[in-house]
Amino acid sequence: MRKSCLLTAATLMAASSSFAGSFQLNLQGIRQTAMGGTGVAWPWDASTIFFNPGGLSRLNGIQAYGSINFVTPNARYVQTPTGGYSASTEAHTSTPFAVYVGGPLKKGSKLGIGVGVYTPFGSSARWGNSWTGRYIIENIKLQSTFIQPTVSYAINDIISVGAGFVYAIGNMDIEKALPLQDIQGNDGQAALKGNAQGMGFNVGVQIKATEDLQFGIAYRSKVNMKVNDGDAHFTVPASVAPNFPLNGATSFTSQLPLPEILTAGVGYRVCKELTLQADVVFAGWKTYDSLSFDFADNTAALKDTHDPRSYKNTVAIRIGGHYQVASKFAVMAGGAYDPTPTQDHLVSPDAVDANRWTLSCGATYQPIPKLSVMAVLNYTTTAKRNASYEPAGFGGAYQIKSLLPGIGISYTF
Amino acid sequence: MSKNYIITTIATASLLASCKSNIDPVKPEAGAADFSTYVAIGNSLTAGFADGSLYRSGQENSYPNMLAGQFRLVGGGEFKQPLLPGEGGWPQNPLIGRTAKRVLGYSKDCLGNTSLSPVLYSGISDTAGSARNMASEGPFNNVGVPGIRCIDIYVAGYAALNPYAGRFFKDPTQKAMEAALQPVPTFFTMWLGSNDVLGYATSGGEGAVEGITLNDISPAAIFKVNYDAAVKSLIDIGAKGVLINIPDVTSIPYFTTINPMGLNLTATQAQQLTAAYSALGITFTEGANYFVIEDETAAGGMRKMKAGEYVLLTTPGDSLKCGGWGSLKPIPKSYVLTADEVNNVQQATATFNRIIAENAERYGLALMDANTYMHTLQKGITWNGVTYSPTFVTGGAFSLDGIHLTPRGYGLVANEIIRVINLQYKSSIPQVDINQYSGIKFP
Repeated sequence: MRKSCLLTAATLMAASSSFAGSFQLNLQGIRQTAMGGTGVAWPWDASTIFFNPGGLSRLNGIQAYGSINFVTPNARYVQTPTGGYSASTEAHTSTPFAVYVGGPLKKGSKLGIGVGVYTPFGSSARWGNSWTGRYIIENIKLQSTFIQPTVSYAINDIISVGAGFVYAIGNMDIEKALPLQDIQGNDGQAALKGNAQGMGFNVGVQIKATEDLQFGIAYRSKVNMKVNDGDAHFTVPASVAPNFPLNGATSFTSQLPLPEILTAGVGYRVCKELTLQADVVFAGWKTYDSLSFDFADNTAALKDTHDPRSYKNTVAIRIGGHYQVASKFAVMAGGAYDPTPTQDHLVSPDAVDANRWTLSCGATYQPIPKLSVMAVLNYTTTAKRNASYEPAGFGGAYQIKSLLPGIGISYTF
Repeated sequence: MSKNYIITTIATASLLASCKSNIDPVKPEAGAADFSTYVAIGNSLTAGFADGSLYRSGQENSYPNMLAGQFRLVGGGEFKQPLLPGEGGWPQNPLIGRTAKRVLGYSKDCLGNTSLSPVLYSGISDTAGSARNMASEGPFNNVGVPGIRCIDIYVAGYAALNPYAGRFFKDPTQKAMEAALQPVPTFFTMWLGSNDVLGYATSGGEGAVEGITLNDISPAAIFKVNYDAAVKSLIDIGAKGVLINIPDVTSIPYFTTINPMGLNLTATQAQQLTAAYSALGITFTEGANYFVIEDETAAGGMRKMKAGEYVLLTTPGDSLKCGGWGSLKPIPKSYVLTADEVNNVQQATATFNRIIAENAERYGLALMDANTYMHTLQKGITWNGVTYSPTFVTGGAFSLDGIHLTPRGYGLVANEIIRVINLQYKSSIPQVDINQYSGIKFP
């Protein structure tokens, strides 16, 4: 039995054709990330507040959970069709995190409550101010943090439901060059910074068909991140400054829609040690039609901008397994395939994307039953993608790779 | 369990090793052409002329020099240009119509309004040594001579007529095509013929059709003999190359910047002018009117302009604004290209372009259709986040003389040439990174 479980686990690792996309981050739980991002069916720990609020009332008690990931994405651009030019994003690390506190009010209670704070979307790229695409983007950073108070109720031994309200805060920071050169040949610069807010919800149903077979379905609503009073600043040669707002400064409004996500999944305990799970994830990216900036002061040289995106909805597939090596020690592995929501003619270097393949593994150790320490390593890559951003006449081949280690800790009270 | 650790360690190590993207550019290939000795034949556009003059950085940013840089990736060799020492522009001799280069600066017009416009470069003179003949440093790969026409390329003694040729031709008797063949090109670009129509156009059509003075449209027969002979001489030594045809001069800012309908009148002014011109039957209306121009074929020797006619960029702005030009008195004919003159230019351009296309066809050479490309530019060409148009100053492609290009404009030309080379010779030469060059520079 043990041997066959090992074999299954090995097969899983080898065949990890795991299936997430664009600026979505699938890093809300260490165990789940290690299992290719799966987790809607099985309430592993308090991170189910994110993965499936319905699972919260299934926990063994109130749990406190914290995790952090270290993301160092690398995107590379090669001019096409005959590339003499190439560029890479500068290495820099961002740290998506998740904190959850929650569980059944007391042992055996049907009602669970909790709160989660996590970072489901974000992206950053630093191409720098000398690369050939600098008039489209130099540096970009988009961050979001969701705060989600949640209640969960176990209707019976099989079905439990949950719902959370999402309040989202975020910020954008964009720098690009302007093709207005001074006498020395230095480019003009535009800098756009702003804070954003949005609201939404997260609901889920968790079904414990048997001890060994569980199902889950969760829906996270679209969250429209609105920037109401961003700061725009333009640095241009003195002779053209009168064509820009006074002192080169104005405010702007913008919005970035974070898509609705519907996830359905199954978890199955093959044998005592091994649990396998799979999720299918629908992302409603179609809502991301364009990235627009509406400036308070429009001038001869400063018009509102409207960059088409025309994203498509995607369906991602994720699989993963959890193997209990010993009573205190477990290992996990998984994979995911995330098709890109972007279209070939509308891939901007400010949001490079391609179909992503993810491989992941991780481990947990429980020095005492109430305490878990967790670690994950997630590797995401894309094949070389030939794409262009037609509105800017910019095309090339792209590839993204990132290695994301993460650590976490949980304590059950 | 120990087995698992090993697997994990190996997996982790291989992941760490491959966490940087590793796609690389395709290796450029020369295809069916030999780029080892590249020679650029042509006029001011080829020499790197810009902003109304020739100066060192303009030469360094010439499209042939850009091309040579890309050719080096596929076996191209040294590319020598007869570089001037200075940045101010050469020669500077107003008597022969040669001034320093133009830069953007502030000038005050007759109404007392200060505005940003092209002004003569006023930096310290750095023309010393410019006239020195530097043939001993040759042979040169860029033999572009500002001002040269197709009908000049077999004129012995041309170097004595043209100071730009005089700088680097071996001796006064050397013909332009002899200088071109001196490095023994394996590959060439030839952009000749623009001046065979441009001199006529920039003089307001005052020259003759089928004449040989600088203000004339060149005789097609001489054009053809010279062009055919030049191409054949290159083919005879086994060279391959690109022929670049003649742009429609009416697509360039020199002719399109001043609006012919630039006479804005109040109702009273319109009445007064209509009354003043009543003998000639010329009427004016409130609002925008076409300028009045000199035309010896019209009654009284003057008439209003019409659609499809052009006022030259060199027309003194103060004369239009305060001197009564175009209203109280006609704009002199040397500043206007009339419909008939436009027709003459376009007919000749079409004839010359046919000769160029025939040569490309005959010898299987690549043809860069600059005429069509400039029309595409009118609709706007966006390259790596920057949109170019033929609009004067703000369009980014044309330099401050309204005829020649900015370094970025020359970059667009270089990339179009590379595109047709790659098509014709099955090569894969990378495009020029235009954004590393400058456009118009603003103070």
